[in-house]
Amino acid sequence: MLNRTFRWIVAGIAALALTVGGAGVALAGHHHHHHHGIPQHNGGDHDSDNNGGPSDGDGNI
Amino acid sequence: MTPTTTAGPATATATSRPIRRHRALVAALALALAGAATLAACGGSGGEREPTGPAAPANAGAFAWIHPDRPRPGWSTRDLPSGDAALSYPARWRLSKTDPGTVTATLRRGGQIDGYLNITPQGGAETLANWASFRPAHNRDEGDSDLIPLASATGLRFRDATGSCVKDRYATETSRHYVELACIVRGRTATTVIVGAAPPSLWDRYSPVIQRSISSVAVS
Repeated sequence: MLNRTFRWIVAGIAALALTVGGAGVALAGHHHHHHHGIPQHNGGDHDSDNNGGPSDGDGNI
Repeated sequence: MTPTTTAGPATATATSRPIRRHRALVAALALALAGAATLAACGGSGGEREPTGPAAPANAGAFAWIHPDRPRPGWSTRDLPSGDAALSYPARWRLSKTDPGTVTATLRRGGQIDGYLNITPQGGAETLANWASFRPAHNRDEGDSDLIPLASATGLRFRDATGSCVKDRYATETSRHYVELACIVRGRTATTVIVGAAPPSLWDRYSPVIQRSISSVAVS
C-alpha cells in the first residue's frame, strides 16, 4: 500500500517536472526565433558599443 | 534462539530501506521540478522582455532644439541596410564598425570616441510610450553605470515622423563617461532609434552637431 502511494507521488512529480521543463524549453526556443539580439560585451562583431563605447540603439537584451 | 533475536532488527531494516529510497527519489524529483521551473522562468523572461526602472523626468523644453530639417550641406548620409531610415553626419566623422542592420558614425581622437551617432531599427520592446523608462533601464541592463536620467519628452515632431526622446548620462563598462540623446522615431511604415553621444567635457562642443543629426533623421 505504502509502495503504491509512493509510486503515485513519484509519477506525479515526474510528470509535473517534464511538463514545466518542456514548457521552459519551448519558451526559450520561441524567444530564440524572435530575438534579433546584437551581441554585447565584445561579442560577435566587436563594434564600439561592445567595447566600452557609447550605447547604441539596440533595444534587445 | 539466536536467529529469533536477530530477526526483529533485520526485518525492521528491510522495511525502512525502501521508504528511504522512496524519500530520496521524491527529493531528487522535487529538485528536478525546481530546476525545470527555474528553466521555464528563464525561458519566459529572456528575449524581448521590457527593462524597467525610473523614467527620465518629463521636460519637453530640453528638446526644444529639435527642428525637423534636411541634413546640413556638406554632410554625408547613409541609409540603413533596410532602407527604412538614414543617418546624416558631418564630413569629418567616419562610418564605424557597427552591428548588422545599423549605421554608426563616430568622431575619434586616438582610441577615444569624442562623438557618436547611431541609427538602429526598433528591435525590442521599446516604444514611443515607454521610451522615458525603457532607455535608461536598457542602458543599465547593458552594463552602463552611474546613469542619470536627465530629461524626456514624447510627441516630438521629426521629418514626416513623430518621436520620443531621452537625455541621460552614464559611464560605460570601461569607465568612459558620456552624455547621450536617444530618440525613438516612428515614420509612416518604420520605427527607428537614433542615438547621439559625447563625453561630458565635449558636450558643449559636439551637442549642436548631434542635435542637428537627430533633427534631420529620415524615417520611412
